[in-house]
This record gives sequence, C-alpha cells and structure tokens, in this order.
Amino acid sequence: MSVARPNFSLDPVTFEVLKNSFITTVDQMAEQIIRTCHSFVIYNRDFSNGLNDVNGDSVAQGNMDIASHVGTLHYTCKSVIEEFADDMHPGDVFMINDPYAGGTHFNDVRIVRPIMVDGEIICFAQSNGHWTDVGGSVPGSFDVQAKEMFREGIRIPAVRLFDKGVFRRDVANLVASNTRDPSAIFGDMHAQSEATRVAEREILRLVDKYGKDTVVTGMKEVQDYVEHATRRRISELPDGSWETEDYLDRDPGGGESLIPIHTKLVIEGDEVTYDFTGSHGTIATLYNSAFGGTFSAIVAGMKTYFPDLPLNSGFYRPLNVIAPADSIVDAKWPIAVSGFLMPFEKIVNSIFEIWSEIMPERGMACAFNLEYLLVGGRDLRSREKNIFMFYDWLPGGWGGRSDRDGCNVTTACFGTGLQTQPSEGQERLCPVMADHHQILTDSPGPGKYRGGAGVIKTSTIGAADETIISYICDRERSVVWGIKGGLPSMPHGLWIRRKDRDEKEWFGSLFSDEPIGSGDVFSRSTAGGGGLGDPLERDPAAVMRDVEDDYVSLERAKTDYGVVLRTIDPDLAQYEVDVEATKSARAEIAAARAGWLDEEPEVAAGRYQAGELNEFDLVRRYGVIVDWGSGELLPKTTEQFRAMMRKRSAVHWQAK
Amino acid sequence: MRNLRIAVDIGGTFTDICVLDESSGELRVAKTASTPADPMDGAMNALAVADVDLHDVTLFSHGTTVATNALITRRLPPSAMVCTDGYRDVIEIRRSNKEELWDTYKDVAPPYIRRRDRLVVPERTDYSGAIIKPLDEAAAREVARILKKRAVEAVAVCFMNSFINPTNEVRMREILEAELPGVAISASSQTIPEIFEHERFSTTVVNAILSPVIGRYVARMSEALAEGGYANDLLMLHSGGGVMTAATAKNFAGRLAGSGIAAGAIASRHIAGLCGYDNAIGLDMGGTSCDVSLVYGGDLRVTKEWHIEFGYPIRFPSIEVLTIGAGGGSLAWIDDDGALHSGPQSAGADPGPACYDRGSATPTTTDANLLLGRLGDELAGGQIKLDRKAAAEAVTSDIAEPLKLTPTAAAKAIVSVANANMADAVRLISISRGYDPRDFALVAFGGAGALHGVALAKELSIPTVIVPPNPGVTSAIGCLLVDIRHDFSRSYLKAAAAASPGDIEAQFAAMQSEAAEQLESEGVAPQDMVFQRSIDMMYAGQWRSLQVPVPAPFDSVDDAVELFHRDHEREYAYRRDVEPVDLFRLNLTAIGEVAKAELMRHAEKGGTPEPSTTRPVYFDGQEEPIETPIYRHEDLPAGAVMAGPLVIEQLDSTVLVPPGCRAETGAWLNIIIHLGEASR
Repeated sequence: MSVARPNFSLDPVTFEVLKNSFITTVDQMAEQIIRTCHSFVIYNRDFSNGLNDVNGDSVAQGNMDIASHVGTLHYTCKSVIEEFADDMHPGDVFMINDPYAGGTHFNDVRIVRPIMVDGEIICFAQSNGHWTDVGGSVPGSFDVQAKEMFREGIRIPAVRLFDKGVFRRDVANLVASNTRDPSAIFGDMHAQSEATRVAEREILRLVDKYGKDTVVTGMKEVQDYVEHATRRRISELPDGSWETEDYLDRDPGGGESLIPIHTKLVIEGDEVTYDFTGSHGTIATLYNSAFGGTFSAIVAGMKTYFPDLPLNSGFYRPLNVIAPADSIVDAKWPIAVSGFLMPFEKIVNSIFEIWSEIMPERGMACAFNLEYLLVGGRDLRSREKNIFMFYDWLPGGWGGRSDRDGCNVTTACFGTGLQTQPSEGQERLCPVMADHHQILTDSPGPGKYRGGAGVIKTSTIGAADETIISYICDRERSVVWGIKGGLPSMPHGLWIRRKDRDEKEWFGSLFSDEPIGSGDVFSRSTAGGGGLGDPLERDPAAVMRDVEDDYVSLERAKTDYGVVLRTIDPDLAQYEVDVEATKSARAEIAAARAGWLDEEPEVAAGRYQAGELNEFDLVRRYGVIVDWGSGELLPKTTEQFRAMMRKRSAVHWQAK
Repeated sequence: MRNLRIAVDIGGTFTDICVLDESSGELRVAKTASTPADPMDGAMNALAVADVDLHDVTLFSHGTTVATNALITRRLPPSAMVCTDGYRDVIEIRRSNKEELWDTYKDVAPPYIRRRDRLVVPERTDYSGAIIKPLDEAAAREVARILKKRAVEAVAVCFMNSFINPTNEVRMREILEAELPGVAISASSQTIPEIFEHERFSTTVVNAILSPVIGRYVARMSEALAEGGYANDLLMLHSGGGVMTAATAKNFAGRLAGSGIAAGAIASRHIAGLCGYDNAIGLDMGGTSCDVSLVYGGDLRVTKEWHIEFGYPIRFPSIEVLTIGAGGGSLAWIDDDGALHSGPQSAGADPGPACYDRGSATPTTTDANLLLGRLGDELAGGQIKLDRKAAAEAVTSDIAEPLKLTPTAAAKAIVSVANANMADAVRLISISRGYDPRDFALVAFGGAGALHGVALAKELSIPTVIVPPNPGVTSAIGCLLVDIRHDFSRSYLKAAAAASPGDIEAQFAAMQSEAAEQLESEGVAPQDMVFQRSIDMMYAGQWRSLQVPVPAPFDSVDDAVELFHRDHEREYAYRRDVEPVDLFRLNLTAIGEVAKAELMRHAEKGGTPEPSTTRPVYFDGQEEPIETPIYRHEDLPAGAVMAGPLVIEQLDSTVLVPPGCRAETGAWLNIIIHLGEASR
C-alpha cells in the first residue's frame, strides 16, 4: 500500500490525537451552547462552532453544525483579526455579524475569543448562533419589503465584547437595545462566550501536554491533510464541465418571471471551479446572498459528496469561485441579504443535480424549500396582554435517489440538524393552535424513486390582538423539480381562511405584515421532494405500498404512475394491482405526456380555474404555473418552467 | 439448603451468571454463549453451568437485551397507534432532524408503527387542559373494530395535551380495553405525563410495542423458574438502574430497553463504593465497544435524553452511558490520505483479531497488545491460543510498513490511538459536564478494560484505577445489587417566583402515594420504601433544564433555586443570580430496598507474592521491553502490595500495571492501582 501523506512533521499518533481533539473541542462547545442558550432558534440547533488558526483559517468545525454556516467562520475570524490585529489581549472576546464581511445574515452573531499562550495568540475559538431577533422593521428581522439592510437589523462589524476579561456593558447594551428581546440577547452573549471558554480550556490542556509548537503544527497539518484528501479525490474524478440552472420565484421589483441562478462546475485536475456567470442581478427583496452565504452553499453542497472528510479550510483550498459582483450571489452593502437562504438552497440543489451526474450512485433530485412563518401580536390569554412571537418552520420531502425514495419529512437542506418544534410547546407560548400537522398525501414528486413526503399544518388564531402574519418561502412557482425523468412535486405557499368565511385566500410564498385576527385560519404545506427516474418505471408493488400508507392516493397512483389498484379491504389497508389496467394506463400516459408539455398553457390554466385540474396536474403534467389563487396564467414563468422540465424530465422518457 | 441470590445478565455475545451465597458471602461467576434465537435458553444454560438448584434460590434478578434487540431488529408484534385527528404522523415527523447530517444516503430508521396502523379519532384538549372537542365515541368504537380486525397485540393511545388533562385519552383506553380484551394498551398520559408530543408519544409507542414481547418473555421465564423450584418474584433490571417485578415489567416494558447497559454502570458504582470511592468513572471495554458511565457522590448520572435508535426518544430516566466503538477487536487502519485510525469497525468475536487465526489478517488492538507483550500467548485459561506471528504480520503489513515504523512502534501507535478515542469519550461525560477527573477513580472492567485502564487514567490525570475481581463478568454483579426502583414525573410549568411550596408539596405527596401503592403491590414493606424528590429547573428563557434534588417535605422554593444556581455553575461554569428561574418538572424516585447480602471479605494477609513467571513487556515511554513479573490472580491474597511493572492474568482478563504504579488487593479482592507520580 502506498501512502502519499503530505510532508507531515507530526508522528501519526500525535496527529490523530490532535485531529480528534480539535473536533471534540468544538463538539464540547456545542454541548455547552445547546444547554445554556436563550434563543430558541439556537436551541433548535441553528448554530455552529469553530476553531480558527492564527490566520483565521478554519481548523475544525462541529460535527452537528448547521450546513448554512460552514465555509463562513474563517471569513468572520479574519475580519476580527484585520480589525484588532495588534490590539488583542488575554481575556478579550470579540463579536461580529457582518454579512458583507463574509457572514451569512444579521441574525447569525459570532463570538470570537483569541486563545493565547505566553502572550502570543495561537488560535481563535468561535461560536456562532442565530439570535431570534436583531432588530429591523419586523419581529424576527426578516422583512420582505427590505431592499437595503437598514430595515433588516443591526449590523455588527467586529467589536470588542470583553476587554481583558471585563464585559463591555456599553457595547452589549448598544447591540441589545436595538433588538426586541434584550434579555435573551444578553443570555446568548454569555452562553456563546462561555462556549469559547470551553475551547480555550481544551486547547490549553493540549498545549500543556504536547507543547505549543506541536499544537500549532497540528492545526496546520489537519488542514493539509484535508486538503490533500480533497485534492486526491477530486483528481480521481474525470475532468469536465457541467452546467445547470435553478430559479427563485420572482423579483418583486420586476415583472412575472423566474430569477435564474446559473451554476457551472468545472473539474480540472485536483481543483474544482464554481462559476455563477449568467446569474440574475440582485433583486428588490431580502432574497440576495452576499459572498459568504454563496461560499457556504458551495461548501455545504460539496460536503454532501465527501461526508466523511472533516470540515476545515483544507477543504476550501481546492475550490475556486467566480461570482459576478452585484449579482444575486454576490450582493454588496447595503443590499438586503437576510433571506440569503433562498439563493443558498438553489445553489445547493444545483450542486446536488450536477454531482448526480458525476457520482450517479449518489444521485438526488431537488428537496423542498425552507420556510419560516411568523405571527406576532398580543396574547389576550394573559392579563398583561404580553407580546407573543409565533415563529415556526416545517420539515418537508427530500429528492428521490438513485436506488431509493427520498427522505420523508426532514429539515431543509439549509441544515438537517435543525429541529421541528413541538405543537404542545407552541400552544402554551402563543395563542395559535394547530388543527393538524401531518404528512400531506400526494406531496412526493413522482418518479421511479419518488421524493420524500412533505407536511401540511393548519392553525387557528386564538385569543389575540394586533396580530400580523409574515411568510418567508420560495418555490411557489419555481416548483421543486425531478431529475432523470422524475416529476416535480407541488407548489409551496400559504392560504388564509377568514373567520366566518368559506373561501380561502391565496397568499403564496412571500408576504409580510398581513393583519390576521382571532378565529382566522392559516394553512401551508411543504413540498415533497422531486422524483428521480420515470414514474412509469416505478414498481407497481411500491406504488401499492405507498397507497396502503396513504403517502399516495388511489387517484394519483393512476394519474402519476399509471398504476391501477383494486381495493380489497380498506379496514386492513389491502389492495391489489390490476395488472392489465395498469399496462394500458401506462401506455396511455407514455403516448400522451410529451404533448401535454406543448399544450396551450391558457387552456390548462382555464381548466384549473374551472376546477377540472388541480395544482398537481398543472405542474406534473402540463408544466403550467399560474397564480394559485386566481388561476391566472403566468406566461413567462410557465415558459421557463417548461423549458426546465423538458431538460430535467421529458428528455429522459423513453418511447413506450 | 443454601440461600442463593442469582443474577443473570444477557449480553449480545455472552450470558453471565453470578451466584451469591447469602450465608457465606461467597460469590461465583460463570459465562456462557448468548442464544439470540431465544435468549431464555442462554439464561437456563447459565443456571446449568453454574450448577444452581433453583430450590436454593431466594432472589433471582435478570438483565436482558431482549427489549433492545426487539426494537433494533423490528421483530415486533402487530401494533397500532390511536391519535388525535390531525396528529397521526407525530412519530414520523419527529423533530425532523438527522443524525448523519452530511451523508444523504444515511437515513433515520422508519417509525416503529407504520402509517397505515396509525388511526385517528376526533377529540382535542387545549394547552390549559380544557376539552375543546370531546372524544367522538362512535369514531372510537369504529377504530376499535378495525384494530380488532387487524389483530393487533399492542396499542399506544396518544392524544394532544393529555399530560395536562388525560380525560379523553383515558376514555379511549377504556373503550379499547372493552373491545380488545388481552391487547396491551399504553396511554401516553399514564406512561409518561410530560409536555412535548413527540417525546411522549415515542416513549408510549416503545412501551406499548414492547409490552407483548416482555410480557411473554417474563411469563415464560417465571414459569421455567417456578418449575425449577424458585418460589419468589422474578426481578427485571431496567435502564434506570433498579429492578421491578415481572408483573410490573409488562406495564412498563419500555423501561427494559437499555437494561443490558445499566448493569455494568451499577456494578462500577458498587465496586468503587466498596473501595471507598464516591466518585467513579466506569469503563466497560469488551471486544467491540466500550461503555463509559459516571458516578458522582455515590449516584450514577441519569439522563432522560436517550434512544435506542436515533429519532425515537425514550423519556424514561436511564443511567447515562456513552458507548463508543473501541474494543479489543477494533480494527486499526490507515486511510487513503495517510492518517491512522482505530475502529469503530471491529473484528468482533468472529473472525476476531488476526492473532485468533480465524481468517482475519487485519490488525486489531488485541494484536497490538500481544506484540507488546501486554497480553500473554493464551486467553481464557488456554481456551484461546494467540498466534503472535499472525499478529506481527498484520501489524507490519497494514500499519508499520506504510508508516515506516518498526512493528513495535506501530503496535504502540495502535494502542495509543485507541486510548485517545476512549479518553475523548471520558472527557465528554466528565470534563464537559463540569466534573474534574482528578476527583475520580476509574473502574476498569470488561474483557479489555484492565489492559487499558492505567494508560487512560494517566491521560486524564485520574489518580486511581480499580479492577474488580472478575472484570469479564462484572456486569452481572450490578444486576445482583439493586433495589426495586420506579421513577415518576409530572410537567410543572411555573416561574419559581410564582410557585407556592404548598402546591408543590401537594403534587409530590400525590406522586408519592401513587408510588407507595406501586411498591406495595410488589410486596415492599413500608419501612423499606425510600422516596427521592427532585425538580427540573432552568433560567427563564433557557430551553434545557437541570435536575436539582429537593428535600421532603418541600417547604422553600428559594432553597431549591439556590441549589439550581450552584449546579448550573458546576455544569456550565457560570451562574446568573439576577435571572428569574422557571420550574419545569417534578420528579419522584421510589425505591423498595432489597436487603443486601454481604460479599465475602477476605482477611488482608498482605505481603508480596511470588510471580508465576516473567516475560518481556513494552510499556509507554520505554524504548526497550522490561522483563516483567506475571502474577496469577488466584495467587494474590487480600492485602498484597506490589510495585509495577507487573501483569496480573486471570481467566477473563489481563491487568497491566506500568512502572511507577503501585497495585494492591483489597478485602474484596479488587485490585487497586495507584498511579502516584505517574498520574501527573
């Protein structure tokens, strides 16, 4: 066996021990944070921890960190170094949340502590957590009206939070006073600072045992090791170039049309280049990404294909990024960027699609889109009429895979460590009660391997006053897609049914500050994952099992898969496949489906308005996108969606 | 006729039996192969091997992996769930997170009950306990009809907010009981009346589906024991570290999940206690994995955050055990980028390490120990011969040559990496919880624990290592030395400032009378009942609580809050006296004390015995091997004192005592190793 280890100076045992110790150190920081934090967003695991070397480069990041923070901690550390290089002292702790300096969005506040030995900095510990509110014009700091950051929240460039061990109340107050929950902010500043102290204790222990020089060498060599591993694996892949395009729903400042993010991947030797040339300019809402968020998407997407490699700057070194300035993937100050997760998820899914070509055995279609819902107002259940904030997010389906279905009800690719909240906890804290929160039948995108299932949650506003609702989501129009012949799943979006009214009102995937009152009902569902492979090739027995478990209805088993089932005994959930009828249903679909994508879109939209077709029919059969409330056709969007669907789905359908 | 107490502990590979003669205090142990097809066979074989006449037995206690295995293998009875309409998918939605964040091809296991078997009924209780929709009884009967037709054997009834008002859930349970005689039914409000639907439902589901499994198992076992002449209750060890009677086990079957792991932790507490240590870290290292537990002030750390499979929490309190893939059989390997690893993959018992000569050529920790002379050429009293040449070949070709090391250096590297992995696990359960290892003794057992104990203690600055007399069967002793124990809890959501001590006392009193009834039904006399109270608290705005012990009767909230501040500081290194504190949950542990038999004390004769032989052994930090005295454990009298380096060999384990350490045998024949200067 040949081992081309890079020129390591450490012996193999010391190297392995230090490598594991660095990771255990950041895991211990995570343990501390989860048990002491105040932001419930952090508690539900929207946080990350890292160890950065003396240059700010990443030595280790936590095993359970949220995906959308990876690849950004080194930027914020470097920014702190740049600001305070010659002015750091034992006991100092710094704070930063600046997205334009490589951070993600304003809610992600990072606490950075230099770790010193004999007056010399040997590394930094960094703890990053999503604070529930950082000010701005709306609770939670996600304002869809924002075009610039001034409505979004407080921007914290690198500042000193502890001065030689003394907590700077002035700085802390300045920040906390600009938010809606100052006491939680103080709690999290302490929790995060203490987490960095845990790292300091562990690193100093290592220094005590191995000596400063060895530990510092270890920090360098773990990066070299990961770089070496990454380059070796990339060089084993064929050189080549791949391209794809994914879309955001709209630019509120422009007309109806999908907003493209164009991703080109080039593998050359042991390096990978991501080129976003051809992507749309920044848009007139918060769905823009600064460079840090974009780089994070690349790292998170790539890491999926190298899951066993430790995360540090060594992994970033073989990556090159071309992001056109002032595009939606490289927004500059003061463009609004709090919704960077929307471009983030498009990039991640594009990477999934491209790597499905490069590593077909690990293929995966598109996942559902992250969504945040916020209802705020006064809780009339208490005498004091306290302010409440109902801040919710739902799981959904992930894409079908090369040899199996997609995962049901999983957190978004924004970060699969994120946890769904319990309804019982929400009901206690807020006058909002969920009538149901369950898997949505037929949400999975059909395919030979179907997508995972999404959910539907419908809630009623209880005793509340001065209540408003906002919703941050996407893929109402740029519907979750299938690949290799698989079909899209369904549109995201939210309905409201007012008290004492029968009809529902469609609000779609992006709105804010809509008044909502006691007795009003709001309902939203998350998409299933996209399908992978031709649904007509799905094993009828697998379709039958899905019907037995209600993931798929009898009706759509026939329309989407051409599988006709006979009910034997509904009490026992027993069915059987009608082999002959299935054969002819599949033949009919195979003969007709190419034509459906060419049918006059107005006609399909009209049939939707008349109630003859539903949204599943429109997106899965006709590739037609309408305003899901009025049924009005969106011609430009439909044209783009159909072109996309021809490439991802239709071209793979074999003539039957 | 003799009075014997028996403990049988069934593990994945071996079934251990421990026989204690109450009159003499003499302890005998034996080991047989486990019988996965029917674990009870293993238990019965163990009785035969130990030559026990059940007529002589006064107490039979039993730890088993039968519940854990049923969950993992999904060999479960047909089961169903009845849920509030709109909430049938709570156990599938879970918290929606993944254990493996990056590998999109590693999935969370599917729920224990399929979606088709999760039925709903219209009903709803709100957050305050108000019933806003009464149970639809017609729908409830329709559900019962369908479940009867499906011939389910277990049903979990899981309604929203039932922890605060169980009326609808209890009514549903009654209807099912009437319509489905003989079916095991668990209602969430009776299984674990705590807030948060997924955690409560998941626990209830586990409890329900295990009930038929455990019910059948304890019935068969009780019958077999009775036929053999055993006249008392079969006592089952549960994950909380106590036992319960067979009749109770059926109703709280979920508590038997994780039973196997608890025994070792209890044993380590007991052994440390015998040697005079209140604080101990238990290290149970076998062939494939290593279990780490922690005792502080005489109490084992208990957790309510655990699972058998990720995503399906079991909220019954359980002894906290951290398991990592480090054992004697852990494979040593070099990755494609040149880094040396140990485990988590293991050669297991079959084919086993390269030196077993059973067809594996991959080096393991055991192979490395053999090359270093730390292990002799045979194990288990000569039943297993170790092939030094095969070990050398494996270590040389896989590790030494690629890393350009001598075989000895490579063997040392393998052991060092394995030790570092275990040290990290100990750090996670000790230092990161605010405990200082220097205040602890390390109890090293399991087949491989005693070989690695001192090196680990040194790494962690632990001053003392204790090796029990039968390290390979120590877990069974844990099974023998426990009390009947039940844990009760209730959600209690209130700001400390607004809480009244009188109300809290009333709640505790109600729990206590329920607990006393339970103990009484198991034949515990009132004077043998002990109750321990605690409250879970947190800073207002925090999301995780800390469990703080409180006195009975409860009379001061302020005292409890002060205890909370103190514990928060110990665990997390800071306190915030000005912050308001919230109460979250009341806990009551009910103990029915079982009279303990005394283990036999041995007169401490002292002296330094003669070694049986010597062999060259490589120690850490020494370039050359040292010709080291080898002792047989059975030759060592109590009170013997010996200076390292030395090796003590016995049937099921090998004890390594490096230079600079001092070993002594105590009155119960535990080997106590003082690291002295070596721990600093």
